[in-house]
Amino acid sequence: MNKNWAKYFAIPLVGVLLLAGCTNGNNNKAEPTQSGTPSVVPEGKPATWIADRKIKGLIFMGTDDYTEDMNPEIKERIKKETGIDYEIEIMKASRSIDGLIAGIAANDLPDFIAFYLNNSGRKEMPVVLKAAREGMFTDLTPLLKDTKVYSKYLQDDFLPLDTKYGVMFRPEFNGSTYFAHMNINREGGYDSNKYVSGPYIRKDIAEALNIDPSTIKTSEQLYELAKKIKEGKFKDNNGKEVTPIGPGYWGSDGRRDWGFLFTDLMWGAEDQRIKQTKDGKVLHEAETEYAMKKVEYFQKMLKEKLISPELFTMDESRSSEGAINGSWAIIADTHNYQDYNQDLHYLPLGPLNSVDGDYQMQVNFKSGYAAWAIPSTTKNPADVAKFADYLASKEGKLLWKYGLEGRDYTLDKDGNPLVKQEVLDLLASNPNEAKKLGFKGVNNSWGEILGSTDNHNMADFGEMEYGDKLKNDQRGQKAIDFWKWEEKRKNAVIVDGYTPVSFLGEFNKGTELKAALDNYNDSLIRAYYSKSLDEAKKVLESALKQMRAAGLDDYLKLVGDKNADPKTKVLFNPSH
Amino acid sequence: MKQTSLPLKLYKPERALRKSIFQHRYLYFMLLPCIVFFVIFAYIPMGGLLLAFKEYKFNKGIMGSPWVGLEYFKTFFNSYQSTQLIKNTLIISGLKLFLYLPFPIILALMFNEIRSKWFKNVSQSILYLPHFISWVVVVGLLQRILAPDTGLLNIAISNMGGDGSTFFMMDAKYFYQIMFGSHLWKSIGWDSIIYMAAISGVNPDMYEAAKIDGASKLREIWNITLPSITPTIVILFILSLGNILSAGFDQLYLLRTPGNMELSDILDTYIIRTGLQSGQYGYATAVGLLQGLIGLILVIMANRISRKVSDTSLW
Repeated sequence: MNKNWAKYFAIPLVGVLLLAGCTNGNNNKAEPTQSGTPSVVPEGKPATWIADRKIKGLIFMGTDDYTEDMNPEIKERIKKETGIDYEIEIMKASRSIDGLIAGIAANDLPDFIAFYLNNSGRKEMPVVLKAAREGMFTDLTPLLKDTKVYSKYLQDDFLPLDTKYGVMFRPEFNGSTYFAHMNINREGGYDSNKYVSGPYIRKDIAEALNIDPSTIKTSEQLYELAKKIKEGKFKDNNGKEVTPIGPGYWGSDGRRDWGFLFTDLMWGAEDQRIKQTKDGKVLHEAETEYAMKKVEYFQKMLKEKLISPELFTMDESRSSEGAINGSWAIIADTHNYQDYNQDLHYLPLGPLNSVDGDYQMQVNFKSGYAAWAIPSTTKNPADVAKFADYLASKEGKLLWKYGLEGRDYTLDKDGNPLVKQEVLDLLASNPNEAKKLGFKGVNNSWGEILGSTDNHNMADFGEMEYGDKLKNDQRGQKAIDFWKWEEKRKNAVIVDGYTPVSFLGEFNKGTELKAALDNYNDSLIRAYYSKSLDEAKKVLESALKQMRAAGLDDYLKLVGDKNADPKTKVLFNPSH
Repeated sequence: MKQTSLPLKLYKPERALRKSIFQHRYLYFMLLPCIVFFVIFAYIPMGGLLLAFKEYKFNKGIMGSPWVGLEYFKTFFNSYQSTQLIKNTLIISGLKLFLYLPFPIILALMFNEIRSKWFKNVSQSILYLPHFISWVVVVGLLQRILAPDTGLLNIAISNMGGDGSTFFMMDAKYFYQIMFGSHLWKSIGWDSIIYMAAISGVNPDMYEAAKIDGASKLREIWNITLPSITPTIVILFILSLGNILSAGFDQLYLLRTPGNMELSDILDTYIIRTGLQSGQYGYATAVGLLQGLIGLILVIMANRISRKVSDTSLW
């Protein structure tokens, strides 16, 4: 290469390096946050008045779950009550975490951000934790002190363990908190929905085979049932022979294991695979006999064509289509609130036992979902906290859950909302038009982002779900009755604690181990499809070797130590 | 003498250049958007390469983050996956580079021989179209066609008396065929355009002369067409070498299943999975930088070899 060429290449390169390097030297120190000193309400303004300003949020969650379009009348009411011109934008990304990482790295965040965060073991946690440690977020503790609803977060007994010590008030933060975990119920063990999740069997097939679905308790019984279905040569709506066990209604869903199908072979939750033995040792599934037991079971099912070979790869459209067409005699996973099965032509199957023995319902004391944070660049962060508090109050919830009084509901003698029949009719006949009314009851979910916490619908509104008082056909009720949900709920154990992977963020080889754990998940599925058990064994041994190289043993010891501390108790059994 | 030679040496070329630019100012003006584009989208992002040597802090930006030296490169080469990843990437990009190379050329030669204009236009359009279909759609189609029991291919196999339950997408044995076949289907039509253009530039007199000499069609292709488009082939090949460690992210990311992951996991998918999705920008940048550097070295080497062996080179 001649000198001129090198010169022409090097000069612009040096220039752009300088240019790019100089961008975003945003050495913004976390400014001392404003404490939530009570503001004086200006004369002539309502008691809910906060400030005459705009609050904008950037949401790193899917448009299926949340809505950025707000109803103008509701926006106007918010402005009138609080002075806040509220606006949210949902950042579109193929995966919400990609958007979150890019958004934080861009360091150009609005007044608040919100993101998915089921528990401190979720993949978003290390990202937001890194950002918090690096001073990207405002300390919320002083802001929450002077709020009405969120100040409950500072009470000793309000938050579940994982939310309190794993997500919000982590010991390393010395009393500070940088994320507000959401969807915390007011009372422990409160059920806002009566979910009957898991495998469902086509009713006509169960009847033809004279099978009571609730008697299927083990994976071996499920195998026998699948064989009978195969021999019965049942047909789907298109006249084609059914697949005895099909995928879950929502498709492969990131290559899940469909643990509901063989809970008696599942070592821990399917997204964790870590559990304590009876003598107190914490083990990963790969270190137990269950890994190969599952491989053996699956290979048998696949070989005898009792299960869909595409269980781990099928997209949602195809698997839902199969469920609706009756192509799967057993759907691996669905639930009672799905529209297609309100007539219960698919019956709940099981529930199957766990590796520990008979099935017992496990209910979380309280569980959080999603979170918000205020960037350290936000001016007057106290306004954002006050606004979140307004939305979390009964008045705020009434607005984002039920809409506008007079337009969408009236109040009964107890002060509870009575939904207007015409709104319910519109919701049934034209859901998209109804959504424009702009509140949760019509599936417009902008308010949940900041306002959904301290939840207790029955106490606040006199009904569990929006419009229950007017509804004749309660959604999901048939399955609830059939599965004997109430009876199981009575015998349920209420638990509180961390998930086994909650501590990856503080484990020094956490990222490496996470990659190795993910690799195990893939390897397990690969083992299901390997040609022989020996080949499968080699695949799993190799995955275990990688996990050990990434510090699995140390991590399991850490989990054991954490479990021994009452503040960081670990939940080893999945909540079914 | 000195006074007359100095201005000639110092000013004449510059003046000539200015004059030439002014004369062709509209052409230069048309070039401007391209320059702006490359500065913004190619050169400025190069500054981000610094991240390969820094521990990125959200609040400190690229310049403010602390240096970590060659830490990420060491981590990558110490990783148990690095050998497999590099091997997979080289195999896949090698297949796409060397095995694929003659296909669009052959197609262009075939198109060149079609005499019916109507048929030529229709067939060209049909072959170009897949280029515009996203890999998401293509892999979706593949999944349906290759599905066990219910897929088109398995139904055909079953109708012919075979076992119609092969799960092609989950079997490593079929991975290269699926990967190469889908790449060929999607790219061949589009990639043949440039060769078509090169063929159309061949002097027709040469064909006339060959015909008079009694050359057959194949002889014309072998002795006239192919030598005439060789410079185009060589230049495109040299340019492709730059991407030898980028085997095509979209296709591979979507085709990757647990069953074929031992073959389908490549550097691009690895960067996304363990780098960007875990927020490890520095690590992802380091691996990306490796890809770019190896590509650059290969391009320079291939260019030198080509310049020595033939008269064709990029610079």
